[in-house]
Amino acid sequence: MNDTLKAARLDFALIKPYMKNICFTMALPVAIAAINRSLMTGVSFAMCLIAMTAGYPFSVSEKSGMDRLYGILPISKKHLVFGRYLYTCSTGLLAFLFSMIVHPLVLRALGEIIQPAEIYLAAVLGVFMFTLYTVFQLPGYYRFGFINGKIFMYIPVVGFLAVILFLSKLVGTSNPIFVSLIGNPIISVIAVLLVCIIAYLLSVIMSIKIVRRKEI
Amino acid sequence: MKLIISNVSGVPIYEQIKQQVKSAILSGVLQEEEALPSLRTLAKDLKISVLTVTRAYTELEEEGFVKNVQGRGCFVMGRGSELIREQLICKVESGLSEAIDAAQMADLSPQELHHLLDILWEGKKNG
Amino acid sequence: MDNFLEVSNLSKSFPGFQLQNISFSLPKGYIMGLIGPNGSGKTTTIKLILNMLKRDHGEIKIMGLDNITDEIEAKANVGVVYDANCFCDEWTVAQAETAVSIFYKNWDKNRFSELLKRFHIAPTKKVKELSKGMQMKLMIACAFSYDAKLLILDEPTSGLDPVSRDELLKILSEYIEDGEHSVLFSTHITGDLERAADYITYINYGNLFFSGCKDEFVELFRIVKGGRDELTLNLSGKLIGIRSFSTGFEALIRSEDWKLFRHLDVEPATIDDIVVFTNQEGDRDE
Repeated sequence: MNDTLKAARLDFALIKPYMKNICFTMALPVAIAAINRSLMTGVSFAMCLIAMTAGYPFSVSEKSGMDRLYGILPISKKHLVFGRYLYTCSTGLLAFLFSMIVHPLVLRALGEIIQPAEIYLAAVLGVFMFTLYTVFQLPGYYRFGFINGKIFMYIPVVGFLAVILFLSKLVGTSNPIFVSLIGNPIISVIAVLLVCIIAYLLSVIMSIKIVRRKEI
Repeated sequence: MKLIISNVSGVPIYEQIKQQVKSAILSGVLQEEEALPSLRTLAKDLKISVLTVTRAYTELEEEGFVKNVQGRGCFVMGRGSELIREQLICKVESGLSEAIDAAQMADLSPQELHHLLDILWEGKKNG
Repeated sequence: MDNFLEVSNLSKSFPGFQLQNISFSLPKGYIMGLIGPNGSGKTTTIKLILNMLKRDHGEIKIMGLDNITDEIEAKANVGVVYDANCFCDEWTVAQAETAVSIFYKNWDKNRFSELLKRFHIAPTKKVKELSKGMQMKLMIACAFSYDAKLLILDEPTSGLDPVSRDELLKILSEYIEDGEHSVLFSTHITGDLERAADYITYINYGNLFFSGCKDEFVELFRIVKGGRDELTLNLSGKLIGIRSFSTGFEALIRSEDWKLFRHLDVEPATIDDIVVFTNQEGDRDE
């Protein structure tokens, strides 16, 4: 088995006792989506919530003093970091799939008619929100530990509000760029994915640098 | 063979092992060509350092009581018990000559000295 | 490869503490005790060996492999036992096995369950519910399940009752019996090492005081006891450390000086004596 996979599996083993809690938090966005009758709000909220759980492995490993276990295991620090990112992205993916399936079904059941564009926008926004939330958080935890690193979780909150404001205005004004983005799904997907990938790359590089320098 | 290590005797552990092996050889508990307990097993059983046992065995070998065969273990030498006997006879001789010196100073006759020896011998024998 | 662990000229500075020029080597098949009072640098040395701290100078080889450039390969052969649990508190023993075993190619499931049975550890028990001695044995069981060649124990006996300590020594003597495994054992409870250790490395406030055979170490020193008036100025110059009280004194001397003290009570020193008296000197120098 690949070292990154092993490290990710270790992280899943860490949060196993909290798995129920995490799954439970996924129910809340469904309600939000239902109340607001908006897929976009539901999905982006779900992605923010799951992104907030990215700190769990840090919290658990700190509480149990597991840095010492990491010091024993025959695995490089780089792969431990890769594994954690893989773990984080996997939880994100699971939450994404869940919300993209369940939320539209619930909304349909409530009699809402969902436009394909809305599904599309919700998906892109969800991925983007998740990225935005996690890329700051993870290096923050690595550098400052779980308690102090939590601040990094709130950095994107400001950004989140700005984005929502920005997007709602765009939707309202039918800005030509926005319209062309919506009109050209391929370009917009590529653009958003590209931004996300670059953000993750920078974040991973940063985390590895921090971890390599860190003394346990 | 019985091997017992005392922590309070003040005698170093390797010396205790040596003495006990020697007396086992002399008393015939350990026969010629018989193997001593393996170095590492003995260390494990007595919960003592491997190096301590190594030292005891090496010194026993140097003194000619046992032979170390690489990879097979330590074996009692045929002349081991003879050697100990010789050593003991030497000790008896030196003790006796000391006794003779003292007897001469005290003006004891050889008969009286013999008699003394007999009495002591009987006394020891009867505890 | 005769040495399973080779540390040469190891140095590391912290604000307020320096580990200086530590060198020692642990041959294959033996137990080495790493001793020194608390704060003398034992744990720092172990963390440097595991590359959890970055060394400033020096070199560390584990079974001939550099501990930094060949870290992964080296660590596959190393087992570590800490003074306390290093697994996730919430894990059960079985979960701990699942989590850790994937990292070792040669993990032997049967051996692990055999060891659990031998140590009377229930696989369903939560790790945090195990006693200190049990947690230690769990870590040992893990190390044995991937047949770690070098076992490093960091203060494993602090907080253990005498029965568990004795059991640990038994486990360790069995472990090295085949001559293919080595143990580095850091402790400040030196009684544990008095018998079982083959080698001693004594670090005192970041400096290497001695590294070599235990018997040699113990034979370097003697304890001398006498009345206070028997201690002339000439003799006090030869003392390494002294404890005086109203009715007499007890002191540590070098064995080569024992003839000077012939008229007094001279006895062999224990490892404890040596550590205690040599640390007094440290206090006096400051």
